[in-house]
Amino acid sequence: MTGNPINGEMEELELRDRLSLIENMIAEGRRGTESWGWVFLLWGVAYYVAILWSSTSFLGPIWGRQYLAWPVTMTVACVLTIVIGMRKEGRRPQTTISRAIAAMWMAMGISMFILLLSLGISGRVEQQVFIAIIAAMLGTTNAASSFILKWKMQLACAVVWWAAAVISLFSNVTQSSLVFLLAIFFCQIVFGIYGMMAEARERRLQGASHA
Amino acid sequence: MPELPELNPVIHGKLRLALLSLLTGVEEAEFTWLRVKTGSTDGNLGAQLLKLEEAGYVAVEKKFVQRKPQTLYRMTESGRQALTEYVQALKQLLGGAIDA
Repeated sequence: MTGNPINGEMEELELRDRLSLIENMIAEGRRGTESWGWVFLLWGVAYYVAILWSSTSFLGPIWGRQYLAWPVTMTVACVLTIVIGMRKEGRRPQTTISRAIAAMWMAMGISMFILLLSLGISGRVEQQVFIAIIAAMLGTTNAASSFILKWKMQLACAVVWWAAAVISLFSNVTQSSLVFLLAIFFCQIVFGIYGMMAEARERRLQGASHA
Repeated sequence: MPELPELNPVIHGKLRLALLSLLTGVEEAEFTWLRVKTGSTDGNLGAQLLKLEEAGYVAVEKKFVQRKPQTLYRMTESGRQALTEYVQALKQLLGGAIDA
């Protein structure tokens, strides 16, 4: 580099510093910028609201219309996800992985909405089949997301959803409902809270590393 | 003896190098996110981003989201190419230093 060994050494140190800066910044840019725990929690609560609404008949003239329970609750959950998501994620950059995962969940949501709405309107629906469809679709999307993120906890959720789908088809209405409620509790509520806690821990660590 | 490559002076600046490296990992990033990640001041960050923009290494998009102004930066193809060449040159120089 230069004839002077001191200058040469300094230059080499500076070049190594540049190389490590590149590596650190690339890693920093890709580091967990997503925050999705709240979405699982929100949808878990939405499922519980829809189930409660659709299974009770004493809620008055508006809330007593049980056929509205799923379409209305799911639409409200969709709108809330978009509005809160825009507020939360607006300042975070999008990575290819985050876009792929968001696209997958959106496609699943649209498929589920079209399918369940059509089943509801056509009347060709049986509760066990209804639950099995929802559980299988959630299992598929959770599994795909866990493979992308290499996240074992989410893969466990996928397995729970798949198990719920199978059990639902081999059980009576009460057992099937119970399995569905349990799967929602573990894979949406508990997993959502776990995700939010993990994200908060990550943010604290990142804050400490920038201090 | 093979000639050692020269380092691109636009990229060699520490903050500009950090910015380009950050932008390789994301599709686009907001000014405030880049400021937090690099820990630089608004003025310095704006000046360095302008140099990268003038060199054609980053593209800027200004828009309003929920009535708030937002400035988004994304790496261009020539920026990606320049960073790749910079890293190759850096490795070659360091290889030379190790051999010496």
